[in-house]
Amino acid sequence: MNRRNLIRALLSLSGLSLAGCGWKLGNVRANATTSEQRDQLYLYTWTQYADDKELLKTFTAQTGIKLFADLYESNDMMQAKIQAGGGGAYSVIYPSDYVVQKMVEKGLLNEIKHNLLVGVDNLFPQFQNPPYDPNNRYSIPFTWGTTGFIYNSEIITTPPDDWEYLWKNREKLNQKMTLLNDTREVFGGTLKMLGYSYNSKNESEIKQAYEKLKELKSSLAGFDTDAWRNKILAGDLLLAMCYSSDAIKLTKENPKLQYAIPKSGTSLWTDTLAILKSAPNPTGAYAWINYLLQPEVSAQLTKRQSLATPNRAAFEQLPKHIQTKPTLFPKEEVLAKCERLSPIGEAEEMYERYWTQLTSA
Amino acid sequence: MSTQYPLPQTVEVEKIQRAKPKIKWLEPFLLLAPAGVWLILLLVLPTLIIFQLSLVPGIRPGDIVNPGGITDYNQFLDFQNWHKIWKALVTNYNRILDPIYLQVIRRSFSFALGTTAICLILAFPVAYWIAQLVPQRWRNFVLIAFVLPLWTSSLLRSYAWITILRPTGLLNTILNSFGLPTLNILNQNAAVYIGMTYSALPYMVLILYASLEKLDKRQLEAAADLGANPVQVFYKATLPQVITGVAASSFLVFITTLGDFVNPELLGGASSMTGARLIYNQFLGATQNWGFGSALSMTLIMIVSIAIALLIKFGEAAPKR
Repeated sequence: MNRRNLIRALLSLSGLSLAGCGWKLGNVRANATTSEQRDQLYLYTWTQYADDKELLKTFTAQTGIKLFADLYESNDMMQAKIQAGGGGAYSVIYPSDYVVQKMVEKGLLNEIKHNLLVGVDNLFPQFQNPPYDPNNRYSIPFTWGTTGFIYNSEIITTPPDDWEYLWKNREKLNQKMTLLNDTREVFGGTLKMLGYSYNSKNESEIKQAYEKLKELKSSLAGFDTDAWRNKILAGDLLLAMCYSSDAIKLTKENPKLQYAIPKSGTSLWTDTLAILKSAPNPTGAYAWINYLLQPEVSAQLTKRQSLATPNRAAFEQLPKHIQTKPTLFPKEEVLAKCERLSPIGEAEEMYERYWTQLTSA
Repeated sequence: MSTQYPLPQTVEVEKIQRAKPKIKWLEPFLLLAPAGVWLILLLVLPTLIIFQLSLVPGIRPGDIVNPGGITDYNQFLDFQNWHKIWKALVTNYNRILDPIYLQVIRRSFSFALGTTAICLILAFPVAYWIAQLVPQRWRNFVLIAFVLPLWTSSLLRSYAWITILRPTGLLNTILNSFGLPTLNILNQNAAVYIGMTYSALPYMVLILYASLEKLDKRQLEAAADLGANPVQVFYKATLPQVITGVAASSFLVFITTLGDFVNPELLGGASSMTGARLIYNQFLGATQNWGFGSALSMTLIMIVSIAIALLIKFGEAAPKR
């Protein structure tokens, strides 16, 4: 045994060799489809999208495919899990628009075979060719919405119509408001208030937004994406920054709560259905997407869960009072001021640093 | 008498004696194997992998792991490559020295140290009471009552504090009914201290109890007889006997709260980011810098290791009499 072999032997003894060098962190493997997997479909979806038990039950009754849903509460978390190789079971995921772009770049998504789908042409034109995914090559829009404020209208009598409201009323709202626990959304809203883009990559602009947020921070009860729900129902919070999909459902259950869209513009998001490269059950995935593309199903979802449909045929089936609900389907001039989040590449590090600075100071 | 025994038996005895050393040699291995395999597979190896990741600046999932540009073990033999690895290491670990991140780590420390101190103050009298003053037949009952909270999920216990501390919660309802003003401590550092202390207290009480139970009361009586006042008795007779227990429980509480994720997350507010959350953000947040996250994790592991090393040192020191 020469010296080289000895060192190699020692290294393998130390257990390091199992990891080795030059291995790929996170290996997404395609699983072989077995008959057992063909009658079950694993979804990886946002917390509130699996709420509708009736929807899942009807699908299983129609197709015989059993559905299993795992939940996530942020795009980042979902992406990290998929990329680290923990997504082998899932066939359909629900990435938001800019995340579709990121995941396509990384080669995680399968191209959609449009010949297997029925009813994509029912979608509104802007959803048939969305900027984040031209011609829906990798994703099919599921629902869309805005980021805004849910507030207790019994105590807040003048609606929080813009981002500035938080700063102007921060004494009144002291410890009674939360912002999303999402770097891009929180900075985006503040950037918008300052008159910049939601997707700014300019360091001085981001720094100004940071300074603004620092002023506000002592009045915040925290950064929450989901936990605000119970607190605002109990009356501990008066205002929370949130996604329209979460808020509108709650305002329906509790009329004293209202949802408002900041008038200087906010983020406009689309959550989509996409099929993973590693999907163990593509057939089931197409069945699920086809099912959700049915106008009746999509309309039901809008009625029951207050999720805005991107489907024109479904929209036309909705009763007038839902069609004209300004929070669910905002008017064109409101939407015109909104922006989609887009991937910002290297600037991500900068945001992270300011975010850490903000949440740790 | 011995001559009456037939020869084959003695041979057998000899055989057994000869076989014994072999079994002895194997014994510790057999006994340790299950736990050892477990530890190596699920603790040592993952830690080594984290260490390896911490040598690749800015690594994200999907990237190739090549510390310092190394793709093969043979390249380890070239010392030029060691220099590259060192540079990669410095890149990741130096970032921790950024004042922003240092502040986060400092906060983790102050949470952990503060919780340890509060726990010690609260737990010592309780443990003393259980070990020395509670009648023997009630002792187990009281101990179980103290450990009972551990039977539920720690997440649930932290969550319960939200319902107690929230502005419209139990505590404030009681305060308000006495005409006292509302206490706003949820989403503040105070709430984090409360949650952490509550989580760690049973462990502290248990360990202190174990050490106070063995307290030699005759020494205390002797000290008192020789004219020591109660304070002197405590410092000169009681404390030296239980100092190992105090050190062990303090280190345990410190170590567990240093990496606590749940309590700061649920009870803390807009500015209670701790080391655990910072690491979480590196792995599952937007930046996905697993290299820096791993470097942070290794640093935390190192700090805890040092604490354990200190614990062993203190634990072995014979109590002064």
